[in-house]
Amino acid sequence: MKRLLLSATIVAAFSVSAVAMAASEVKIGVIMPLSGNSASAGKAAVAAMELATQIVNEPHPELKNLPLASGAGLTRLGGAKVKLVVADHQGNPSEGQSQTLRLITQERVVAMLGSYHSSVSLTATAVAERYGIPYVVGDSVAANITGRGFKWTFRTTPIASDFANNYMDFLTDLKKAGHPASTVAIVHENTDYGTSVAGTVDKAAKAHGIDVVADISYNANGADVSAQVLQLKQKNPDAIVFIAYTSDSILYMKTMKSLDYLPKFVIGDDSGFSDPAFISAVGNLAQGALNRSAWNIGAKNSTTWRINEMYKAKTGRDMDDTSGRDMQAAFTLMDAINRAGSTKPDAIRKALQATNLKPSQLMMGYRGVKFDKTGQNTLAATYLIQLIGEHYVAVWPARAAQHKLIYPFKGWK
Amino acid sequence: MILLQVIVAGLLIGAVYALFSSGLTLVWGMMNVINFAHGEFVMLGMYVAFWGFTLAHFGVASFSAAAAVMLFMLGVLVYLALIRHVMRGPMLAQILSTFGLLLVLRYSAFWAFGANFVSLPDGILGPSLNVGGILLSAPKLVAGVAALAVTIGMHLLLTRTMLGSRILAVAEDRNAAMLMGIRPDRMQAIAWGLSGASAGIAGALIATFFPISATVGESLGLIAFVVVTFGGFGSVPGAMIAGLIIGLIESLSAFYVGPVYQDVFVYALFVLVLWIRPRGLMGKA
Amino acid sequence: MRRAGWILLATVLLLFPLSFDNPYYEQLGSLVLLAAISASAWNLIGGYAGQVSVGNAVFFGAGAYMPLLFYKLWQVSPLLGFPAGIVVSLVIAVVIGIPTFRLSGHYFSMATIAVAELIRIVVSNWDFLGAAIGLTGPATPRGWWDLVYRSSVPYYYMFLAVLAALLAITWWIQRSRFGYYLRAIRGGERAARSLGVPVSRYKLYAFMLSATFTSLAGSLYVVKFGFIDPGSGFGILVSVNMVLIAALGGAGRLFGPLIGAAILIPLQTETNNLFGGGGTGLTYILYGGIIVLIARFEPGGLLETWERLRARRASRAA
Repeated sequence: MKRLLLSATIVAAFSVSAVAMAASEVKIGVIMPLSGNSASAGKAAVAAMELATQIVNEPHPELKNLPLASGAGLTRLGGAKVKLVVADHQGNPSEGQSQTLRLITQERVVAMLGSYHSSVSLTATAVAERYGIPYVVGDSVAANITGRGFKWTFRTTPIASDFANNYMDFLTDLKKAGHPASTVAIVHENTDYGTSVAGTVDKAAKAHGIDVVADISYNANGADVSAQVLQLKQKNPDAIVFIAYTSDSILYMKTMKSLDYLPKFVIGDDSGFSDPAFISAVGNLAQGALNRSAWNIGAKNSTTWRINEMYKAKTGRDMDDTSGRDMQAAFTLMDAINRAGSTKPDAIRKALQATNLKPSQLMMGYRGVKFDKTGQNTLAATYLIQLIGEHYVAVWPARAAQHKLIYPFKGWK
Repeated sequence: MILLQVIVAGLLIGAVYALFSSGLTLVWGMMNVINFAHGEFVMLGMYVAFWGFTLAHFGVASFSAAAAVMLFMLGVLVYLALIRHVMRGPMLAQILSTFGLLLVLRYSAFWAFGANFVSLPDGILGPSLNVGGILLSAPKLVAGVAALAVTIGMHLLLTRTMLGSRILAVAEDRNAAMLMGIRPDRMQAIAWGLSGASAGIAGALIATFFPISATVGESLGLIAFVVVTFGGFGSVPGAMIAGLIIGLIESLSAFYVGPVYQDVFVYALFVLVLWIRPRGLMGKA
Repeated sequence: MRRAGWILLATVLLLFPLSFDNPYYEQLGSLVLLAAISASAWNLIGGYAGQVSVGNAVFFGAGAYMPLLFYKLWQVSPLLGFPAGIVVSLVIAVVIGIPTFRLSGHYFSMATIAVAELIRIVVSNWDFLGAAIGLTGPATPRGWWDLVYRSSVPYYYMFLAVLAALLAITWWIQRSRFGYYLRAIRGGERAARSLGVPVSRYKLYAFMLSATFTSLAGSLYVVKFGFIDPGSGFGILVSVNMVLIAALGGAGRLFGPLIGAAILIPLQTETNNLFGGGGTGLTYILYGGIIVLIARFEPGGLLETWERLRARRASRAA
């Protein structure tokens, strides 16, 4: 009798633990800037990734085109729930490396997501490479993140050169429509973000035969941009490309108004221009500004619209492009883990390499997700969106346009 | 024509620099203490303006006065709780104390007000004035006038009033002042209060055209140091002149040479001044 | 009794990484040692000589950029850049040192901050040095000479060796005439000069020695992290950290910086782990609070507190 009871207990114990293991957690590490200048962007991105995890962990049949949304948890891992372990890298590359190391060795995450700042992505992916843990970069655009021959780094977002080519393609279309588009000025802040993107825009312009009449590099978070605006006023280019963070973007708009310079056309490279603070502060001065976004809220009751509603309920604001791109990276990673059917890093890596998501399965406007040998998503793409009223609406390319392009730049008029 | 506009733009921002630097030079000159957290005082003034406007619908004059009062109190508090004790101690402690204060103030603001940028509505002080084809930004003009007023006011306060002469006496010789029946502690607390108040006014006025967040103190603080060093520690009129010159150099070099070099010029000037003429333009020897 | 203390310390330091099989603690240990090197180097000029430099990042950055620059230009081992970093740092030390040491007190500190900022901005805009984007090193090692290791343990021992050398030199200086001169300078320059101490010369020597080891710290940092940019090389927080760590433990004392590093680095990392994920900047509020408390209550650092307590106990026993 006692022996029966003992064996029954042992069997029960094993079953419980087996069930516990099956319904256990899969940890994914996330590093983002959660303090310092980029904290608001970092927090917004984390909220988006948490939402992705929520959608995967709970049944959401209304979002059925997204992989793993209909069911609860990772279906091929016994319904295991995904848990995000979030760390703050403070915008500091060495802190990024330390935190990544901690997440990998202490928290034992099976994969990593991150990191907003390109400089941090560079060091953090190096750690993941040394430890053999997959790292999916959702947002950093510096070219050399996927150019180092790494095997464990994957990137879902389009990169700087993609955006630059999009802008120049757009300007070429503008010219075809009969508007002036032969000269461009590039205004960029002088940290790694501004410098690297400006370089690609310059190259793309030359390749498209567009003349760069001014390349204005300025000190980020400076107190005054009057001199820069006066330079622009003097050169009067057909279009200005701003590569700036929030504070500077706001300052430029205000300064252009105060110096009565209404540019013919304004293109803002995401970042500052996408920050809701920009719209609330100077939206009425920047009407018609062009921006890039692979995110579009879309028609009512569409998947993207529903996601936006959920995001709004969670954070009080609309989804922005950067957060959306991070959320897409999270979905891509969770789908790969599921397809691997295992939490072993090598299996996840192979699954990532085999990724082939169709545009209909995505929340972002990419043409798909398929990684090349360097880990870069070759089907990454972006829309160009224009600020009309209080929202950005897609106006280019023509096939995705929801609104006709407004030309010239309305600004504050 | 455009040259004139560049010059005017430089002078206007220079006046703004002078405004938020005047408080720093007072404290520095008086007590030989560098307030590394000065930029954060200005930042707090900006937030007072923002919350004053948003919550209580204050006008510019009201929220500037509110900022002055609140930051005066903060200055006094910082002196009494911290500065008073480290002042006569090792150099290391003095430098560390205000640096620590910088972190505490900046990140408390970050924690309390969040990471997002906020702004006062554009044009709160009206559109740019057009004077003979030269555009003068209204908020900067107001800041410039305020800078002048604060400079003159402080100068008069220090040189023409009883309070002022007491403050200067303590700065010159603390012990002798005590023997004269002046209470040095009280005078130095007031000096810190005045420094805070001027930073508060500066912040409130800058908020009318500059986006606000907890981290703006970083760039503003650095500019204030350059202005104060150049103008001479302890000289409020020196800060005014230095501010204008620096604004002008920045504007001209940004326009003609390239904005990036603007910073290089300013810092190089800073270093040269320290090496060749440490007391700056108008500082005491 | 004292000798037993030294042996114990040496044993703990030597065996630390081997006692845990935990890469996180190994990393932490190596970071503590690295911070102790920079802070101990600062200690020479800021603690012993009393010249509070808040710009030593200049040497750290120089030491960090040279190895990666050599790698970028000639694909050679970063190790070859170490001496280059030292040479550049010495040149900078002499060029800044001579005019700046004529200034006293706050002016000196401000000048060091300004020079570091100036260099940071120049490097930020200099394409040859990678401008704002910075430089990266070998990601996977071609051989032992690339100094790229997956584990933190080899780095730990490299850092320990350099720290031991630096502390040995500092200890020797403390007991020599050099140390006597530095103490006199710290006590009062005018008095020191009247006693015949060659003030300017010895300040410069201390500065150059400080520069050499700070540069080494930068080079060691860069082979571990594989990346440098103007902010992480020349930023003001880099300089302030050195000052703070030395001050926390006790500036002007041999083991002050090591103690400061042993407390502050884990504290910084733990508060970031605990609070950082929440993103409220609490880490920094705590950090700032600690700085203010030290400055206000115990500017001599923890070693001073320790000594005071020991003296009190000794006098009570007497």
